Amino acid sequence: MRLLACILGLFLATLAHAEEVVSAKQLLNNMATAVHNRNFDASFVVLKGKGMEPYRWVHAKHDNKELELLSLLNGAGLEIVRVDDLVTYYEPQSAPYSVKTDSIAGPIPEILFKDSEALLEHYDFVLGGKGRIAGRPAQLVRVEAKDDSKYNYWLWIDTQSSLLLKAAYVTQQGELLEQLQLTHISVTPEPAEQLLELTQREFPTPLPALELSKDETTQSNWQIGWLPEGFKLLKSDRHKLDLNNELADYYLFSDGLVDVSVFVQRPLPGQRPSGALSSGATTVYVHNSGAFDVSVVGNIPAITAKSIAESVKRPL
Amino acid sequence: MTKQNLTTSPQEAASRLLDGDLQLEQSSLSHIDQEKFARYAQIGDVMRHTQTGGINIDITASVARALESEPCHNVTDDNSADIEQINDTKVIKLSAWRRPLSQIAIAASVALVAVVGVNTMPQQNSPAIDEMPILQSRPLAGGVAPVSFSSEQPALQQAEQGIRDLQQQRIGALVLEHQRQSRVAYALQQKDKAEREQSEEKK
Repeated sequence: MRLLACILGLFLATLAHAEEVVSAKQLLNNMATAVHNRNFDASFVVLKGKGMEPYRWVHAKHDNKELELLSLLNGAGLEIVRVDDLVTYYEPQSAPYSVKTDSIAGPIPEILFKDSEALLEHYDFVLGGKGRIAGRPAQLVRVEAKDDSKYNYWLWIDTQSSLLLKAAYVTQQGELLEQLQLTHISVTPEPAEQLLELTQREFPTPLPALELSKDETTQSNWQIGWLPEGFKLLKSDRHKLDLNNELADYYLFSDGLVDVSVFVQRPLPGQRPSGALSSGATTVYVHNSGAFDVSVVGNIPAITAKSIAESVKRPL
Repeated sequence: MTKQNLTTSPQEAASRLLDGDLQLEQSSLSHIDQEKFARYAQIGDVMRHTQTGGINIDITASVARALESEPCHNVTDDNSADIEQINDTKVIKLSAWRRPLSQIAIAASVALVAVVGVNTMPQQNSPAIDEMPILQSRPLAGGVAPVSFSSEQPALQQAEQGIRDLQQQRIGALVLEHQRQSRVAYALQQKDKAEREQSEEKK
């Protein structure tokens, strides 16, 4: 009898667990739908350590076309405009350019607004507590890495409108590293005039169709011995960096949620010990391995970046 | 006397006036430089220990003058951009971004930190990060540069500074490149997925 109760209890527990996963998933899906279908005008700030970046985010759906504008309000700035599946980046340092893709690569990982279920392979979705964010009732959804070498991502979703209210990169110890917090949001039935004007605007012709340019020669140049679970190579090539014209063997990896860049370059002169530099969740690890320098950039813990950088070797 | 006055320099006139050699009158006054006279008087006072209030040198005027001719640094077109925005809030001023705002462009995410050196910073509560060397960083704006004035090896220091600058530049370039590349990451991923699904279907 006791055994039966035990089994029943276990069964109920698993059932409850399954239900929880479904509803966390459901919340994320609702958020994705809301973000793509509502007309809203929001302001948010991104807190990175001691730094802060304010953004404005406006979205509208008009004549079955999505219009979206994201702009960084401080400093030299950055403006990203999306008209359906054409995203144009306006930056102070270079001429504007367009990419054929259906989501803006902003401070929020775009996969969360798309098919977040693809993340389930490497992340767990867990329901957290309820709270009040930006003056609205919010439900916490935690996207937790199955692998300890990555950060978790937490989202607070408006329980009424399903829109995102707050998000954060969180360490395995539960420390909030980089927070994104909405300070204001208004949902309107009509799209903002500012966005309607975008339909009249001319944009640069998009860059040639993106290719999975996994250059064989670059790939055989270096062996990247270790990566956290779930990271796949998306791109590898050899190119000059925009700012300082340095040549680099470049590798782009992603596990769906976060992207990691690995650069292998000619070493700089002098004795420089290896070290990490971080700003919010972004880590830059520079590894000086004598004959070459390996740098790893991405939203990963410094210790993970270090392991990746140190695993890069010349193939035997 | 008049002839003599014409030949004397203002300094001499002032000096003689103070010494009592010269009568204080309109003609002698016209020869002296007011500032110099004040200074001579002060020197005399100090030498005679008659001054009690301490030496009082007024440099505000010269500082103000120097400031006036000082070129302005760090003045960007922010104001004009603001005004444009106010005048025309409904139009997004995309063209504003084409202005060359800064030559040394540092990606937004690292704009607040600059590498100045490397040291090992032990951190509490996280044994995993204990052995992690941290590149020391300092805020770019408003920070006081930690300059050490040991003049023994200035050349070496300069070389080190050069390397640091190079490293800093490189880190800026790397972060910007990472930001740019990750913009296409999602699109690449979708494509990768689509291709894989296609090949699976063929099988």
